[in-house]
Amino acid sequence: MNWIFEPMSFDFMQRALIAGLAVAAVCAVIGVFIVQRGLAFLGDGLAHAAFGGIAVGLYLGASVEHAVWIAIPFTAAIALGIGFVLRQTTLRGDVATGVFFSFSFALGVLFLGLRKASDRQIDVESLLFGNMLAVAPEVLHVVVAVAVIALVITVLLWSRIAYSIFDPELAAISGVPVAVLEYLLLAQTACVVVVSVKTVGVVLVSSFVIIPAATARLIGSTLARTTVVAVVIGMLGSAIGLFASYHLNTPTAATIILIYCLGFGSAIVVSRLRR
Amino acid sequence: MNESLPPSPRSLERRSSAQRLSQTRPDPSLEHVLDVDKVSIEIRGKLIVDNVSFWIPKGEFLCLAGPNGAGKSTLLKAIMGLIPISAGTIKIAGTDDVASGHHKIGYVPQRKAFDRDFPARAVDLIVAALRRKWPIRITAEERDKARAVLAKIGGERLLDKPLAGLSGGETQRVFLARALITEPSLIILDEPTAGVDARGRAELLELMVSISRSDELAAILVTHNLGVVAKTAERIVYLEAGKLLCWGLPQELLGQESLTALAGFQGADHFAATPDEE
Repeated sequence: MNWIFEPMSFDFMQRALIAGLAVAAVCAVIGVFIVQRGLAFLGDGLAHAAFGGIAVGLYLGASVEHAVWIAIPFTAAIALGIGFVLRQTTLRGDVATGVFFSFSFALGVLFLGLRKASDRQIDVESLLFGNMLAVAPEVLHVVVAVAVIALVITVLLWSRIAYSIFDPELAAISGVPVAVLEYLLLAQTACVVVVSVKTVGVVLVSSFVIIPAATARLIGSTLARTTVVAVVIGMLGSAIGLFASYHLNTPTAATIILIYCLGFGSAIVVSRLRR
Repeated sequence: MNESLPPSPRSLERRSSAQRLSQTRPDPSLEHVLDVDKVSIEIRGKLIVDNVSFWIPKGEFLCLAGPNGAGKSTLLKAIMGLIPISAGTIKIAGTDDVASGHHKIGYVPQRKAFDRDFPARAVDLIVAALRRKWPIRITAEERDKARAVLAKIGGERLLDKPLAGLSGGETQRVFLARALITEPSLIILDEPTAGVDARGRAELLELMVSISRSDELAAILVTHNLGVVAKTAERIVYLEAGKLLCWGLPQELLGQESLTALAGFQGADHFAATPDEE
């Protein structure tokens, strides 16, 4: 048990564990809907939009920590834009996401380039790949608050969102406000992705959304069970990856994602054996 | 400003021929389940449904026929409250209040119209219609209700089967059970046998007609298949280019002469069986 207790004696490890569990849980719950809706690419697209939002914030003079407050509405607007294109055109989700992803990433690079040499230095590598072990207490508060709010909203609306994702037409006939729920899910995903970027980085955040959900989809027989399994896989993988990275001295987010991939591979084997 | 294509000379000729056909309407003293009164629907400035009126009495099995682009699907969507109408009124069981009226509609979509990869069992889908939201846990009472309605249509064994593992005919039975569980006044069947094999299709149609008769349930069946119309319809509403061309009994509208007048039988591709219905 010392394998767990020894790293937990450090404050930064406690914060990393809490942030990792919060991000993993909320990404898994939302991820089940995103994967089922055929928008697996959305997490990646919104993470790049978050990069654009943070870059705009930095250009306006905010610190990396405070730029998140500009990135949240910016990314939510991009998410709503993707939703609008999905509803108003016949384009597929990956195409709509790809267009907005390119736009916001290009905007991010542009604004970073426009910064003056005298502006404060930023660590682009940390922004792209994140650093869970360097989560500041104030960042942790934001991550946990956003995760809790998103979880509460999603759990309260879970049955209606699930019905609208199964078949929007049937759900609408039953009185479910399908369009409102879709926009809400997209905006909520944007907020979760922005705060998750602060811990796991732009490049890796979509893995937290997709891999536990995709793994659970291979195992779960109903959507409710799939969601529970996704949360368990997400949180367990996050904790195991964190401790493994501490002892193996490897990058934390990358280690967590490799653990997720191991789980995904095992789920494929199990689902094949079950047939 | 709406726009609609000017009718072709052939279309005008058909309309004139249709007007000469005998068209028997339902007895007005019967209980009205659906009233479509002078309904027009405009989408993005284009008139899709033009001043259509008909009604369905309790227990009648009505076929809504017409070529592609006739406005059938748009009219169905308006009846189900999914799109607004530009003029006229739609009343379901006497009410035009969307929220209360649509509780009285059961809907069976085309088989292809839902995600077969969704991790769900038949019981989940049926109970979702009952609750009007997707179930997390199903109570014993809900399960019994779902089982009873499936048993009624000969599908009790499907209760716990994953939707992804069902055949075309089984899937549509589950959707029929889903539509029936809310005890609707009107059931809408939107090409429900498309993608179902020949044997399953015949069984399914027989089942739908027999339920409509035994439960005195009004039904609208949308189909392109003339054979299906002939086998099932108690009355036919035929739309063309958004207008109601005729509304009468099958024997009045399906005779060789009537068909020639209506659609030019030899070339009536919309009346031929579609490939997946062969």
